[in-house]
Amino acid sequence: MKSLLGALAVVGWLTAATVAADLDEVVARGELIWAADQEGGGPHVFPDPADPRRLTGFEVELAALLAEELGVKPRFQQGQWDRLPLLLGRAADCVINGIELTPERLRDYSCSRPYFGYSLQLLARRDGPVDTFHTLAAPGPEGRWRVGVLTGSAAESVMRSRSDLEVDVIGYDGTIDSLEQVSSGVLDAAVMDDCIFNFYADRFSRLRTVERPFAGGFYTILTARDTPKLSAAIDAAIGRLIADGRLKSLYDRWDLAGRQQMLMLRDGAEIPVARRKTLGELARDTLPLLLKSAGMTVLLSCLAFPLAVGIGLAVAVGRMHGPTWLKPLLTGYVEVLRGTPLMLQLYAIFFLLPKIGLALPAVAAAVIGLALNYSAYESEIYRAGLKAVPLGQFEASLSLGLSKWQALRYVLVPQAVRIVMPPVTSDFIALFKDTSVCSAITVIELTKRYSVLALSTGRIVELAVVTALLYLCMSWPLALLSRWFERRLERPAADGTEG
Amino acid sequence: MITVSSLTKSRAQVRVLHDVSLEGAEGTVTALVGPSGSGKSTLLRCLNGLETFDAGQVTIAGHRLAAGPQAPGLLERLRRDVGMVFQQFNLFPHLSAVENVALAPRVVLGLSASDARARGLDLLDRVGLRPFADARPATLSGGQQQRVAIARALAMRPRVMLFDEPTSALDPAMAAEVMEVIVELARAGQTMVVVTHDHGFARRAASRVVELAAGRIAREGLAGDVLSADGLASA
Ligand SMILES: Nc1ncnc2c1ncn2[C@@H]1O[C@H](COP(=O)(O)OP(=O)(O)OP(=O)(O)O)[C@@H](O)[C@H]1O
Ligand SMILES: [Mg+2]
Repeated sequence: MKSLLGALAVVGWLTAATVAADLDEVVARGELIWAADQEGGGPHVFPDPADPRRLTGFEVELAALLAEELGVKPRFQQGQWDRLPLLLGRAADCVINGIELTPERLRDYSCSRPYFGYSLQLLARRDGPVDTFHTLAAPGPEGRWRVGVLTGSAAESVMRSRSDLEVDVIGYDGTIDSLEQVSSGVLDAAVMDDCIFNFYADRFSRLRTVERPFAGGFYTILTARDTPKLSAAIDAAIGRLIADGRLKSLYDRWDLAGRQQMLMLRDGAEIPVARRKTLGELARDTLPLLLKSAGMTVLLSCLAFPLAVGIGLAVAVGRMHGPTWLKPLLTGYVEVLRGTPLMLQLYAIFFLLPKIGLALPAVAAAVIGLALNYSAYESEIYRAGLKAVPLGQFEASLSLGLSKWQALRYVLVPQAVRIVMPPVTSDFIALFKDTSVCSAITVIELTKRYSVLALSTGRIVELAVVTALLYLCMSWPLALLSRWFERRLERPAADGTEG
Repeated sequence: MITVSSLTKSRAQVRVLHDVSLEGAEGTVTALVGPSGSGKSTLLRCLNGLETFDAGQVTIAGHRLAAGPQAPGLLERLRRDVGMVFQQFNLFPHLSAVENVALAPRVVLGLSASDARARGLDLLDRVGLRPFADARPATLSGGQQQRVAIARALAMRPRVMLFDEPTSALDPAMAAEVMEVIVELARAGQTMVVVTHDHGFARRAASRVVELAAGRIAREGLAGDVLSADGLASA
């Protein structure tokens, strides 16, 4: 409890200590630090194919023009797209990255006047069943339609609010991940900003636009609320870029229909500011979602860990006692899985396997990825555990006529299991926390849910407390459970068959 | 019952057994004596295949071992008929006394759990440890542990029992209880080979004595003859 209060104090201090750089400081520094996610891709911000060390994109050019207007140089700051606003006042002066103007953003940040108008486009496979928007209103042959969106994007909130549609909305961290998944048949459709699909259309020749765009809005530049002079300067600069035609020619160069953009910006819609929720409303709206995602965290851990232990044990036994040809293979297995990041393994299972016709649901991919990754660590632990069992135990078993495998099963492994109980327990808790990596492959577990809700409600601290409490409520029983296991293993088994 | 002929073994280029031959008739007890490092343990372990050897041949309880690696399955069949008791007991610490004894009958012979347990309890009774059936090895004294280990080996009803210095890790009182059990087995006609430093014990339990020195047989004969001629007193 004490440590939790301590953590809260730190969070409070961090939020209080944030002092954003206003215009004077930006000018004095001589640099406008703008944040974006180059992984988000074209046409916004992406590595230049001709020279990947360089960034390009229409927003890179826009940032350069704005910096020039402020009399400074632009400097790029990389961030994860759905968390870019959190960089404000700390690592960046502004965010320029296809951030849609929404009531919530107007409430939580300072939003510039619109600089670009986007439309939401439905995309599907040419040979697939989704050929009109209306198709989505009735269930498909396999139940609800699976539609991919970019996490935290307007496409996501629009699609999630459409209760008239029979769709499961699945959030991805990368812009074109959903296009990949539609292409390989994992998803039925995707929804995204039209300019993104236009940019990547050639790469996804199996996909097509379904009807005309069905919704839309504007991109805005975010600044912190406490840098009013910087916000005003950016607004004025956008005004000058529109007035003298520089913005139009920029858009024309990027094939973004400059004239149409200028007309849209002239008639920019008024967007109301969202109201801040009361604590009661916040609890009512977020608790059920947080609880559900906590359930996902428990589910992932409790499915993946026993699998990891089983595979790990088999690998350890195989490496120590298996046939000679198997040993290098198993050593390779362990080294590859330990030597590459869990995130990459999850990506491979979820995004690459479908390309060879092996499409797994996200939760299954997450469980398998976690289990394989942890099996490498568990196998090392069990190997050490098996080595720690004295040789005399093996010889005594053999002398009784047990085969090698019987000796392992009834004598060596049961003892190794007891020896490695402490490190295995701590690995379980580590895996429990590592489940949050699974958000990269669209599984929404507790941490992901927290970050989505914190951003959409602007209640970062309150929700952090609730989330921390939920984690505690879950890890406490886990700790009790593992202690119970430890005690149970200490007792003589009824007939000596365990293990 | 036991025939060793011209057994030779090297370890890391060092000869540890030279051309060793010996016989052990059914129902007899052979004591293996000799100074430390003379190869007693190595010879004993060759008898149940825990060690391979380079030349010669072993026949024991109707099984024949040749030099080099053995055919698959042979050792498992042999070891059902040849029990072994170690200096350090090597009881299974995660199992109770009776589970230690019942494991092999259940797993190797396929006895039901209740039959195996019944056999285990009988044998614990025989070594005087029935009241400790459900105790973990760690809670037993050294002498009690070694008696459980003997019961465990007996549970396979072996035709030959091998003992590698069964009492040398024990203080005299405990050693005496273990020797009592072994002498009792000898009286009951169990064929055995016992490695020991204790000549009093060898004289009581063994009918024949074989003395090893530097990997060769130095002397052998009837226990009374070899051991009473006290050339071995220093061993
Ligand atoms: N694991 C081993 N690796 C290499 N050499 C060994 C090993 N075990 C024993 N030796 C050597 O083999 C020879 C015979 O050893 P062995 O253990 O059979 O002797 P011993 O007569 O049983 O002695 P002790 O009375 O000390 O038990 C010795 O020279 C010993 O150093
Ligand atoms: Mg020895």
